[in-house]
Amino acid sequence: MNIIERMLAAKAGLGHVEAGQEITVSVDLALAHDVTAPIAIQQFRSIGATRVYDPAKVVFVMDHNIPCSTVDSRRQHRIVQQFCDDFGTKLYNRAEGVIHQLAFEEGLYNHGDIVVGADSHTCTAGAKGAIAIPLGSTETAAVMALGELDLEVPETHIIRFHGEFGPYVYGKDVILTIIGRFTTNGFTDKAVVFTGDAIAKLPQSEKMTMANMMIEMGAMIGYIDQGGEDLGEPAIVHDIQASEIVPVAACPASPGNVKPLSDVAGTRISQAVLGSCTNGRYEDMAIAAEVLRGRTVADGVTMVVVPASKRILDKMEENGLTKVFRDAGAIVTNPGCGPCFGAHQGLLTPDDVAVSSTNRNFPGRMGDKAAQIYLASPRVVAESAVAGTLVEPGTVVREGK
Amino acid sequence: MQTTTGAAFLLRDNVDTDQILPGYAMSYPPEKLGEVALAGSEIPDFAKQVKPGDVIIAGENFGCGSSREQAPVALKASGVAAVVAGSFARIFRRNAINIGLPVVASPEAAAIQAEAKPGDRFQVDIENACIVNTTQGKTYSLTPLAQSSLETLRAGGLMNKVREKLVARGEKLQTPA
Repeated sequence: MNIIERMLAAKAGLGHVEAGQEITVSVDLALAHDVTAPIAIQQFRSIGATRVYDPAKVVFVMDHNIPCSTVDSRRQHRIVQQFCDDFGTKLYNRAEGVIHQLAFEEGLYNHGDIVVGADSHTCTAGAKGAIAIPLGSTETAAVMALGELDLEVPETHIIRFHGEFGPYVYGKDVILTIIGRFTTNGFTDKAVVFTGDAIAKLPQSEKMTMANMMIEMGAMIGYIDQGGEDLGEPAIVHDIQASEIVPVAACPASPGNVKPLSDVAGTRISQAVLGSCTNGRYEDMAIAAEVLRGRTVADGVTMVVVPASKRILDKMEENGLTKVFRDAGAIVTNPGCGPCFGAHQGLLTPDDVAVSSTNRNFPGRMGDKAAQIYLASPRVVAESAVAGTLVEPGTVVREGK
Repeated sequence: MQTTTGAAFLLRDNVDTDQILPGYAMSYPPEKLGEVALAGSEIPDFAKQVKPGDVIIAGENFGCGSSREQAPVALKASGVAAVVAGSFARIFRRNAINIGLPVVASPEAAAIQAEAKPGDRFQVDIENACIVNTTQGKTYSLTPLAQSSLETLRAGGLMNKVREKLVARGEKLQTPA
C-alpha cells in the first residue's frame, strides 16, 4: 500500500485497501462555514437527527461574509448560531480567521487524521499530513450525523521535485506551474502527493499554499510529504526539476491558464488583492510589506490586504506591517474570505484588471464576469501594486534589499 | 427512476461553479436559487429559458471549482432534470447525486453536441445508461453510474440513506418540524 492507502486503511479498520475499493472511514474533524453550513444544517434537521456524532469534532467558522455583507448572509450566520446552541458544536464567529487557516492554528487536526469540510479548499490540511477531503453540504451533514464517510480509494500520483527552486519562486509558482502542466481536471478523483528535497526545504506556509490549490487540478486528496515518510508504491510518479520552475501567473480566466510573468509583464492593473486561505499567512504579508515599505500603491490601483486569521493580523500589528500597508495606501480588512469569492470587500467592474494572491480567476469570481483576474504570488501582487502593471518579481525591489 | 424528456442546453468545457451559481448568491434563501441558475455562464438568462424536464449537455470538467452545493440545488430548482457531460468535477458530481439530481458522464458528449440541432428533444435514461435525441432518433451511451450513486438517486438523495443508517443504529429520530 502507498501512504494514502495506509492512512485510509487505518481509518477504515482494514488491513489492506486498494485503488477503486469502496470503503467507509471514520472522520476526525468535520468543518463548515457560513455559506455552506446552512444547507448542511437544513439537511441534518430534515431527517430529525437528534445529535451530532461528536460535538467536539464538528466545527463551524464564520469567514465568508464577516461582518455580514447582506441581510441574507446575516440570516445564514443566525442559522449556524442556532444550530451550535442546539447541538453544542463549536462556533468561531468573531473573525478569528479563514476556516482552513484557523483549523491549522487551533490544532484541530493531526497527521493521519481524516478531515472533511464543506469547502473545496479543505485540502489545505494536507500540508500538515491530514487526509483532507473537500465535500459539499449534504455529505457534510451525513458526516455530522454518522461520523463516517463513504469513499472510493483513489489512485495516488506522486510529484517529486528535485533540486532547488530559483529566486522569487514561491509555493504559489510551484502549484500554479503544476496546475498549468497537468490541467484543471488532471487529477480528478485522484490523490496527489508532493515530495522531494525541494519541497522539504520549504516553510509550512508555502506547503499550505500548495496543498490549498490541489483542488484546482480536481484532486480528491492533496498531501505534502511530512519529511522522510515511506510513500510506498504509488500508481504514477512524476519527476520535476525544481530549477525549471519560474515565477508565473494564472491568466484569465482559469487557474490552468498559466504563463511566465515575463509573458504578461506590462499589463495594466486596477486592483491588487493580498490574502486568502491560499496566501494570507504572516510570511506572505511580510514578503509584501518589505516591497511596500516606504513605497506607495500606484495611482489607479486599489490594494486590499486580507489576513487569513486574527493571529496573523495580531502579529502584523506587533511588527508594524499593518502600518506599512496603510501608509502605502493599501486597505487592510479584518480576517476573512474577503473579495476572493466575489461577495464583498472589493468587487470588480467589467473594466477592472486584478492581480490576486487568491486561488481562482474564473469569470465573475470577484465581481463582473468580464473583469480580468491574474493569480500570482504575494511578491508579484505587491510589486505589481507599486508598479501599476504586472511585473516580474525583482523589478520594483531586488530580493533582500 | 423516471426517464425525462426535454430540450437541451449546450455548454462548453470547464463550466465552473461560479458560473453555475455566483458567489454573491450563495447567501440567497434556497427558494430563490433557481432564479440565478447559470447566471454567471454564457447563458445568463438560463433560468428564464429553462423548462421542467430540460437537460444540460456539457463538455469536460463540468462543475469544477468551489464545493458550493447551491450550484446543483440551483440547477435542480430551475427545472433541470439531468446533466450529461464529458466529465464532471468530483465535488459537484457528488453534490448533485446527493440531492437527487442525476448527473452522468458520456463518452459521446462531444458527438451529442455536434449533432444536436436547435429545438431537438432529448430523453435521458439513467437506469439504462443512454440518452436519446428523440427528434432525430439517435441514441448515445452514458457511462453507467456507480452502484452507490444509483442507490442514492433511487433513495431520493443521500439523507434518506443516512436516516436508514441512523435507524439501523437504534438512534432516536425526531419528526422534523
